[in-house]
Amino acid sequence: MYGETTMMVNEKDINEQIAWAKINTDVLRSMENPRKSYWVAVAVCLAMVATAVLAEYIQYTVGMGVSNLNNPHMWDLYIATFVFWIGMSHSGTLLSAILHLLHADWRKPIYRFAEAMTTFSLLTAGLFPIIHLGRVWNMYWVLPYVSDRGIWPNFRSPLVWDAFAISTYLSASMLFLFIGMIPDLAICRDNTTGWRKKLYTALSLGWEGNDRQWRNFRKIYLLMACFLIPLAVSVHSIVSADFAMSIMPGWHITSFPPYFVAGALYSGCAAIITLFIMLRYFFRFEEYMTLPIMEKLAKLTFAIAMVWTYLNLIEFASVWYGHDMYNKELLIAKATGPYAWIFWSMLFFGSVVPFTLAFRKMRRHMPTMFVVSILLNIGMFFERWMIVAPTLSLSHEPWQWDVMWGSIIEWALVFGSFGWFGLLFLVFVKVFPCVSMYEVKEMVFHRSMSAGERDVLRMTDHAKPAKQTPGVEGA
Amino acid sequence: MSLDNILNNWSDYRKAAEDGGFYDSEGNHPYEHRWTMSINLDLCNGCNACSTACYAENNLAFVGKERFEKGHAMNWMRIERYWDDQEKDYPEKGASFLPMMCQQCGSATCEPVCPVAATYHTPDGLNAQVYNRCIGSRYCSNNCPYRVRYFNFYSYYDDAWPEPMQQQLNPDISVRDKGVMEKCTFCVQRIRSAKEKAKMEDRAVRDGEAMPACAQSCPTSAIVFGDTLDENSAISKLWKKHQVKRNVAHQDKENPEMRGYRIFEELNVDPSVMYLERVREDV
Amino acid sequence: MSGKLNRRSFMKMMGWGGVGTALVGCDMPSTVTLEEGVEDVVSYLSPEEYVIPGVGVWYASTCTQCAAGCGIHGRVREGRVLKLEGNPESPVNKGKLCLMGQAGVQGHYNPDRITTPLLRSGGSLSPVSWEKAEQVLAEKLGGVKGDRFAWFTGSMSGHQLSLLSSHLDAMGSNKHFVHEVVNNTVAQSVYADMFGDATPRLRIDKAKMVLSFGADFMGASESPLLYSGDYARFRTGKTRGLLVQVEAKMSLTGGSADLWMPVKPGTEGVLALGVANLLLNKLKMSDAGIPSDVREMINTYDVTSVARITGVAGHRIQRVAALLQERSPSLVLAGATVEGHTHGYASTAAVMMLNHILGNVGKTIEPGAKLPFPQLAAKRGGTADLATFAEAAKGQQLDVVIFHGSNPVYTAPASLGLDDGLANIDFKVAIAQFPDETAMAADLVLPAASYLEDWGTQVPTFLGDSAAIQLQQPLMEKLYADTRGFGDIVLGLLKQLKAADFDKFEDYYGYLRNAFASLPASVKAGASSDDAFWNGALQAGVVMLPADLVTLKSTVIAFADPRGGDDAASGLTLIPSPRMGLWDGRHANLPWLQEAPDQISKVVWDSWAEIHPETAKENGISQGDLISVSSAHGEIRTRAVLLKSMHRDAVAVPLGQGHEAYGRYAKGIGINPLKIIDPAQDAKTGELAMYATRVSIKRVAGSEQFGLVKAGGSDTQAGRKLVVTVPAEQLQRTEGT
Repeated sequence: MYGETTMMVNEKDINEQIAWAKINTDVLRSMENPRKSYWVAVAVCLAMVATAVLAEYIQYTVGMGVSNLNNPHMWDLYIATFVFWIGMSHSGTLLSAILHLLHADWRKPIYRFAEAMTTFSLLTAGLFPIIHLGRVWNMYWVLPYVSDRGIWPNFRSPLVWDAFAISTYLSASMLFLFIGMIPDLAICRDNTTGWRKKLYTALSLGWEGNDRQWRNFRKIYLLMACFLIPLAVSVHSIVSADFAMSIMPGWHITSFPPYFVAGALYSGCAAIITLFIMLRYFFRFEEYMTLPIMEKLAKLTFAIAMVWTYLNLIEFASVWYGHDMYNKELLIAKATGPYAWIFWSMLFFGSVVPFTLAFRKMRRHMPTMFVVSILLNIGMFFERWMIVAPTLSLSHEPWQWDVMWGSIIEWALVFGSFGWFGLLFLVFVKVFPCVSMYEVKEMVFHRSMSAGERDVLRMTDHAKPAKQTPGVEGA
Repeated sequence: MSLDNILNNWSDYRKAAEDGGFYDSEGNHPYEHRWTMSINLDLCNGCNACSTACYAENNLAFVGKERFEKGHAMNWMRIERYWDDQEKDYPEKGASFLPMMCQQCGSATCEPVCPVAATYHTPDGLNAQVYNRCIGSRYCSNNCPYRVRYFNFYSYYDDAWPEPMQQQLNPDISVRDKGVMEKCTFCVQRIRSAKEKAKMEDRAVRDGEAMPACAQSCPTSAIVFGDTLDENSAISKLWKKHQVKRNVAHQDKENPEMRGYRIFEELNVDPSVMYLERVREDV
Repeated sequence: MSGKLNRRSFMKMMGWGGVGTALVGCDMPSTVTLEEGVEDVVSYLSPEEYVIPGVGVWYASTCTQCAAGCGIHGRVREGRVLKLEGNPESPVNKGKLCLMGQAGVQGHYNPDRITTPLLRSGGSLSPVSWEKAEQVLAEKLGGVKGDRFAWFTGSMSGHQLSLLSSHLDAMGSNKHFVHEVVNNTVAQSVYADMFGDATPRLRIDKAKMVLSFGADFMGASESPLLYSGDYARFRTGKTRGLLVQVEAKMSLTGGSADLWMPVKPGTEGVLALGVANLLLNKLKMSDAGIPSDVREMINTYDVTSVARITGVAGHRIQRVAALLQERSPSLVLAGATVEGHTHGYASTAAVMMLNHILGNVGKTIEPGAKLPFPQLAAKRGGTADLATFAEAAKGQQLDVVIFHGSNPVYTAPASLGLDDGLANIDFKVAIAQFPDETAMAADLVLPAASYLEDWGTQVPTFLGDSAAIQLQQPLMEKLYADTRGFGDIVLGLLKQLKAADFDKFEDYYGYLRNAFASLPASVKAGASSDDAFWNGALQAGVVMLPADLVTLKSTVIAFADPRGGDDAASGLTLIPSPRMGLWDGRHANLPWLQEAPDQISKVVWDSWAEIHPETAKENGISQGDLISVSSAHGEIRTRAVLLKSMHRDAVAVPLGQGHEAYGRYAKGIGINPLKIIDPAQDAKTGELAMYATRVSIKRVAGSEQFGLVKAGGSDTQAGRKLVVTVPAEQLQRTEGT
C-alpha cells in the first residue's frame, strides 16, 4: 500500500483518494510520542542556546570589545545574521499569504510550518539588534513610550523604523499563524486528553465548524493575508533602509529594497525546501509533502534566484557605469580583496547552484535538493556578510581601512541563534499540527471534483460540500 | 505625568521635527555661535601634541597594545600620515600629515540615523553626543565618512586610570562607560565655561576665549579656532580669505587658488573644519 | 561681577558649568583632598581659603620633561593638578606645549612611583624610613674622600645645579657627570670654535632657506618648541621659507621638508664639502677666512665624487648650492646623525662652515642670551661623560655616586661595560621618582617628588634677546608624603657638611626665596618689595633678565676630513633614532605617549626596525617580520617596518623601549637599540659615535603573540582629496606679498 501511494503522490500534488480520517491520524500521529532522535535534537539546540547565553553574558559584563567589532567595523556578524533571519521570515508569508491570494492550492500541505518558520525567524532576528547594542539594558529607548520628560526616539532613524516594522510584522504573522490553525486546533482538541486538551480548548476559541464560523474565518484569513503581504515587503525594505539610508558606498543603493526582498524570499524558499525534506523524512509525510509540490517549490525558488541574480547584476552594472569612485573601488575590492572568496562563493551558491533546480531529475531527488537548499542558504548568509562588512572595511576614509572577521563570541551567538530557532521549531512540531489538516482536506476535496464542479464551486463561492465537512468530525 | 504634559511634549517634538533644520527659507538660522576650525596643513608637522592634549583634556582612555591592535583606540584627534603614491624610491616631499577629528558637520550624517537622538545639533553649530542617552547602536559611526566616532568597547576606568591616575580626570566632563559612543566635542566644556564667563560679565564671548586643547597646544599654531558668527574673529577672516562657504557641496571660489578646502564636502555634509592645503616647493 | 553675582545665580552657574556638560554619571569623588598623603573626604562647606570648589585655577611652573625648560600653566582644581598648558609668557614655548609636556601629569600621577626610601639589604631593595636612609647616606658620605664621590645627572640648570655644585665643593670632588642621550654637544663645541658661542640663537624664522643635515629641530632637539614656533614664522613669512632636509632616516622635521634627500649615513660632512665646493668654485662665493688646508680639502670634493660617496644625485647638490646662494639669508643646521660618528666633529664643522661661506653668522645665527649668573646656566650633557664614568667606575675610582635625572643603566651601550663598573662602586644612591633600571641597581633609593610637586628653577638655553629663569613651583600637595624634592634632599646633604652656610634655609623653598631676594635690583625693577617680586615671578612663571651677549665671530677652523674611515665598513648603519614622545626612553612609562603613534611609522606600544623596502627585499624581509639586528656587540630582535623614508644603507630602531624595569607601562615592551652600539667615540669631543654602528639584519622565526601594532589602514590617500598639496608659487600668488 505504501509503495502504491508513493507512486501516486509522485505524479500528483496529492492523493485525491486519501481519506480525511487518515489525514487527521497522520498529522496527529506526528505530534505524539517523540522519538529518541527528537530529544537528541532538542538537546543539541539547548546546548547551542546555552553557549550563546554564555557568550552574551560575557559580552554583557565585559563589553562589546569581546566581539571583533572595532572602529570602523561597528556592525558586522550580528547585523548580517539579523538580516539573514529577517530574510528567512519571508518564506511563510510568501507561501501562506501570497500564494493563498493567487489560489495556488499546492501550498496547502506545506504552508503551516513555513508560517511557523516566519514567526520563529522573526523571534530570532529580533534578538540581534538587541544583542549588538552597547547598552542592552536601555534597548526600550527606541520605542516611543510615553515619557513625562518629553523624550522621544528619533523617528528619522531607520533603526526606529526597524523596531516598528519588525514588531508589527511579528505580531501580524503570529496572529496569521494562529488564526490559520484554529480549525486544526479544534481537531486536536477533539482527539486529545490531559494538558493538551486544555491547551487546545483554550486556543481553538470554541470552534465548532459551523457555517458562521467558517464564513468569518474565511474573511479574517483573507484580510490578514492581504495585510501581511505589504508588511512582508515593507519589513525587508525597511531593513534595507538601515543600509540604503546611509551615505556609505555599497550601502547607499537605490535597488536595495527589492534586492533585499528578493534575497529574503530566496533564502526563505530555500529554508522551506530544507525543512520540507526534513519533515517529509522524519514524520513520513510523503503523502502530503509530495514530489510535485517540491517541484513547484523548486521552480519558484529558481525563479526567485534568477530575480536575485538579475538584481545583483544591475547593482554591479550601475556601480560600474556610475563612476562613483568609492562605490567602484568597493566593488573591485569585494571581488579581489580579502573578502573575495566570500563574494565569489555567494555568487556561485546564489546564482549558479540554483541551476540544478532547472532539472526535473534533481528536483525530484531529495538528497540533492537537501544539499542544494543548504548551499543556497549558505550563499545567502555570505550575501548578508558581503552587504555589511566590506562597506565598513573600505569606506571614504582610507586611514581607517581594515579587515575583520567575527570573534568566537560572535560565532557562538550566531550558532546559538540557529539553536534557538531549532528549539522553537522542535517545540512547535510536537505541540501544533505542522500540516494544515483542514486545508489538505479542502485540497483533496477540490482536486477530487471534476472541472465543472470546481467552476460551480468557484461561482457559488462558499458552497458547502455535501458529503464531508472539513473540520471537526474527522477521526 | 499629566496628559497635558505629554501632549505638549508631543507637539513640541512635532514642531522641532518639522522645523526643517537650522535654516529657514531665507537662509536665516538660529545659531548663537558657529564654532569652526581651520587647520593649516603646511604648518602641521604631525608631532601629536594636539592628540595628547586631547587625551589629557577629555578623559580619553588609553587602551593598550592588544586593544589598539583590535581597532579600539580612543584617539579623538588622530594624526593620519600619508605617503605620496607617486613616489618611486624615496618620499622626496616628506610625509603628508592630516589631523582628523569630528568635523562638526552642519548637516551631519550621524545625526538622523541615531535611533534615540543621542547625537544632535546644538545652536552652537556642534554635533553634541549625549552619552547618557546613547544606547550603543553605533549607527552614527557607520554613517560617518570621517570615521571619527569612537565606541567604548570596554569599561576603561580601571585599566586606564589606576589609582592614583584617576585624580587627573577632568571633572568638567564625564568618564564614559562601556557601550557608549564618543567623539571630539570641540572641547565643549571650555566653550561652555567661556560662554558662562561672558554671560556673567554681560558681554559677548571674545575671540580666542574659547580654545580647544588641541589648538592651544599646537606647537606651530596650525590650528585656529573660533566663532564664524563673530565677523571680526580670526577664524571668520580665514574662512573669508580662503573663500570657503558653508552649506554647499561644491566651492565656487572667485580665486580657486586659495588654499582652503573641506574634506568630503562633496558628500554634502557641510563640515565645520577647513583645511589649508599643504605647500611644497618644487626644488 | 560683584553686584550681579548673588547666591542664586552662583548656584545656577555652578550647575550649568559643572554639571551641564557631565553627561554620563562620573563616580569620581570630587571632594577628596590630600593632606599628608592621606585621603580625607572634607566637606566643602569649609573649603581652604584659596580653593573655590568647581573652579579651576591656573598656576605657572616649568616643564622638566626634556631639557628645554618650557613654561607651563597647570590647571588646579580641588587641590589636584588636572591639565598642563604652555605658558604664553615663557620665551621658550610661548604658550604651546608638546606631547611630552602634556603627558607630564601622567608621570606625576603614575601608579608606579617610588613612595618611600628603599635600601638594599640582602640583595634586594626594601622600604626604610627617611631617618634610616639619611643615617646610612651620612655614614657612606662621611667615609668617602674627594674625587671618589660623584654626581651623575641628566642636564641640569638653575638653583638645583648651583646647590649640587656647592655640595660637590663641600665634598671636595669635581666629578659631576652629565649625561643626555638626546644632545647636541658636538655641535655646541663647533659653535664655540667657529662662532665663539656654544649656544647661539639659531633664527630659523629669519632664514629664507634652511638646509638641515639631520637636525630634527622640531622633534628630538635641544628646544623643540622654540624651534617649532620659529618654523611656523619661517613658513608663514613674506616668502615661505624653504626646508631641505638631508638625513638617512626621515625625522619628524624631515616629514615637513620641501625636499627630503636620503644620504648615506656618515657622509653628511662630505656632502657639505661638496656644496661648499660648488659655492666657492662654481658660484664664486668668497672663501675668505677658510684655512688653506680646508680649502684644499674642499677642492678635492667635486660634485661627481661627492655624489658617488653620499649617494645624493649630482644635480640635486648643484640645485641646493644654487638655492643657498639665491635665498639669503639661509641657515644650515647639523643634527645628531651628523654628530654621532667618529668623525662627527669634522662633519659638523664642515656643515657649519657653510654658514660662514653663506654669511649667515649674524643674520640667522645670533648670539645666544647668557644669564648674568653663570653658576645657574644649564649644564647640558652628552654621552662623553657616560663613557668617562664607565671608565672611572671600571677603574675603581669611585666609591659613592648619586644618580639623578638620568638612567645610565638603561642608556649605556653594553660595550661600555657599565654593569661591571657599577659593581665596583661601593655605594650607589638614586634620587628617583620611578623604579627605573638605575634605581633598581642602586643601594639606596630616595623617593623624589615629581616636578609638579617641587620647587626649582630652570634656565633655558638657546634663547636670543633676553635670558630667562623659568620658575618651577608645586602645583599641588605631594601625592606621597614620603617623597622629597630634589632641592630639599641636596640641601639636607649640604646642611650636614656646611651647617654654617645652609642651616639658615629651612628648606629648598627658603633657599630659593633667598636667592631671588639677592637678585640685583635691576632685575627687580618695578616690584615694590622682595615679596612682590617673588609673587610676580611665581605668577608669571618666568623672570626675564637682561642678557649678556657675546659678539659672534664667523671663522672656520681647521678640521679633519669628514669622510672618516668607516664608509668602507660593510653592513647597514644602525640609527638609534630618538622619538618625540618616548624621547630617550624616559617617557616609556607614560601610557599616553606609548599610545601616541610614532609620527612617521605610526607604530604604538612597541619597538620596530625601519628599513627601506629594497633593503628588506634583498634580505628577504617583509612588513611585520621579526628580524634580528646584530652588531659586533650584541643582537636585538624586533619587527620590521618597511618605509621608503629610509636610506637603503641604514636601519633605524627607535629609542625608548626595551626597559627591564620602570613600571608596568614600560617594562618588557620592545627592545633597546642603545645596547648594541659600538663604543667608538668622536675623535675630538669624546662623544660616543651613536650613529656609526654597523649591523646586519636577517629574518628570524617569531613566536610573539602580537605582531606589529600600527595605526592606519592605508598609507596613501587612495585618490581622496584628503591632504592636497600645492606648489609654493601658488601660495606666493595668493598669500604672498
